[in-house]
Amino acid sequence: MTQAETRHSGLIGTQPAAPEDVVARVKIRREAGFRVGWLIAPATLWLLIFLVLPLVSIIIFSFWTATGYGMVPDWTGQYYGEYFLAEGFFDPESRNYWRPTVFLRTLGSTFQFTVMVMALCLVVGYPIAYFLAMQVKSFKFQMALFLLAMVPFWTSYLIRAVAWLPMLGRRGLLNRALVDFGIIEKPATFLLYSEFGYIMALVQLYVVLCVGPMFFSLAKIDKSILEAARDMGATPLQIFREIIGPLSLPGVAIGMIFIFVMLMGEFATAVVVYGGKTTTTGTVILNYYAIANYPFAAVNALMLMLAMMMGVVIILRLVNIRKEL
Amino acid sequence: MPAKTRGTSASKTSTGLSRRKFLGTTAGAAVAAGTITGFPAIVRAADPVRTVGFGVSVINEIQSKASEDLGFDVRGQALGYGAMFGKMLNQNDQYEVAEGYFNDMDVFIPSKVWQPIDTQRITDWDKVTDLCKTGRLTADSNPGQGDAPFRQIWLDADGNRADGQSRYVSMVPGWHNADSMGYNPDDTGRVIDSWAEMFSEDFAGAVALLNVPQIGVMDAALGVEALGLKTFGDKGNMTREEIDFLINFLIEKKQEGHFRAFWETFGQSVNLMVSGEVVIESMWSPAVTAIKAEGVPCVYASPKEGMRGWHGGLAISANASGAALDQAYEYINWWLSGWAGAFVARQGYYMSVPENVQKYLEPNEWDYWYMGKPAATELPDPFGTIIVPEGEVRDGGSYEDRFRNIAVWNSLMDENDYLVKRWTEFLSA
Repeated sequence: MTQAETRHSGLIGTQPAAPEDVVARVKIRREAGFRVGWLIAPATLWLLIFLVLPLVSIIIFSFWTATGYGMVPDWTGQYYGEYFLAEGFFDPESRNYWRPTVFLRTLGSTFQFTVMVMALCLVVGYPIAYFLAMQVKSFKFQMALFLLAMVPFWTSYLIRAVAWLPMLGRRGLLNRALVDFGIIEKPATFLLYSEFGYIMALVQLYVVLCVGPMFFSLAKIDKSILEAARDMGATPLQIFREIIGPLSLPGVAIGMIFIFVMLMGEFATAVVVYGGKTTTTGTVILNYYAIANYPFAAVNALMLMLAMMMGVVIILRLVNIRKEL
Repeated sequence: MPAKTRGTSASKTSTGLSRRKFLGTTAGAAVAAGTITGFPAIVRAADPVRTVGFGVSVINEIQSKASEDLGFDVRGQALGYGAMFGKMLNQNDQYEVAEGYFNDMDVFIPSKVWQPIDTQRITDWDKVTDLCKTGRLTADSNPGQGDAPFRQIWLDADGNRADGQSRYVSMVPGWHNADSMGYNPDDTGRVIDSWAEMFSEDFAGAVALLNVPQIGVMDAALGVEALGLKTFGDKGNMTREEIDFLINFLIEKKQEGHFRAFWETFGQSVNLMVSGEVVIESMWSPAVTAIKAEGVPCVYASPKEGMRGWHGGLAISANASGAALDQAYEYINWWLSGWAGAFVARQGYYMSVPENVQKYLEPNEWDYWYMGKPAATELPDPFGTIIVPEGEVRDGGSYEDRFRNIAVWNSLMDENDYLVKRWTEFLSA
């Protein structure tokens, strides 16, 4: 047995190398088992057929011409023109003078609502995750409470949205209580079918999505680091700023990406809780699909996707998830 | 299009009930006996007829009864508007019969996804009323603007539009109705008899409009016209200038907070009135019954300007041939023979062959649903639930009264793309 000597990082001094038979036993044999190619084949095939192919066809269709009852492969960029440039954009007489098209404005307002809801989800969701991960000591309780937070997920999305109606409505629970206690005289109408109700419902519907990732990255933080910081006299604020905050960033980023992607594609809540009083890009796509103008629906879908991709890239730029994990 | 998802059974799929019943009882028996017997072979004489449509006409009970009477399976698939439209247009190998609507004919006729139907193979063609043939149910009727069925029905043998009556049709006329507004009489405090009331200041903040651009815009146009703000050349086919005028008016109203909500499904419209959110809204007539069943008073208005009509029918896929084509014709003939018409009559819809429907309705039912007389006894819906109390009179009067004065029919305008774009602007405003 040769006693070669080697240095292991993290250990002090010189360590003896492991005996050869041990190294041989532990060494991963690459040649055994499936080849990497085979392992990724199913997923690749799946993505090719159900993601890449449809995506490519959407891109192609967006350049075709709608006939009113379908589309024909007459290549045109007119739908992109219609998307980006309103008729009369350069005409000072027109009501569209220097005004972005309704489709761009819709994408803009979809984005605006999304960002607003994301911010609120962070404000509401982070403390929940923090409480679960940091304040609840027993792992059992942690899990139990985490599952409890997930309870809304046990019913369908639509039911959760519809449930707001008897809550916020003109004759809803909240209004009845406010009137009965004499706080207001007449039922408030701004609660439902309003921006207020819409945002509130969206936050409630999506906040759980970000609590999960944030909880996991908070729970992963080694408590002894916090203890060490405290021992060295760090204030709670310092601990949060220097340790907890940065270490939980990946969870925050992942949670925000979840919410962002789902909110940008949102259209059902606007119908149910906002009474259809706003349009999202999702609704626009649906409307143009319904009148068989597939190329224009495709343009809208692509622009939505582009906006989503940009959003995700921005979030990932702000937080380097790979490094943090 | 009369409905995105009319009725509550919006996305049910049905195989024949006889088979389902059979499976149910077999399963029950097997459980009871504690044993599972072998699965019996089902001998089928022919392939099933597949039919697609809205929940208005594609209802388990109707297709099972057809299967029973015809001796082959009729499988229905009820879809929401977008899904139905897409399937009918893009997958005509997935159905034999399409239960479509005359207002979509500007899409379906040129697309040639359906074949022209030979009226000589329609047994009761002579009994089909003139509503779809000449546009006049009675001699003194007003045919109405827009895509009235008689403007969308006649084809030549190749499936192109024909001038005037011919041997071939795009669809065999089926169920139809006329829509207007529903209101809560306790809240309005007066009888509503004009579309102008949709924009009355008295109801500001408690009005809902139908959010299907093609239909909602017509309800709005009827209101604007009744207010005397503008006269439209053809409310079923507006010009850009007319659309602009109308949408600008609607945007102004929306910004004033006139609208409480915009509804898309039947259930939403019911809920809006039941929960007291609105006092007046565009409505489909079966909603009245549903609202009253919740104990909330509701009246279906008969506006003096006339109602907005819609008409469904049965079309055959261009793909159907041979035995499948014969079966499709058999199914259509069965629809006209009365049973199905009586079924939908109890939901408030009319059928293109009233005299056949009469055979399957009790005299009291016929008098109430078609003649506009007070109900002599309480009357049930198709499922046996009592929905009409004794003595009640149907809103809008008799069938003839209602269809004598159709202001406009559901339509697909030439400027549909522009309309949808401006409607999007209205909703985002």
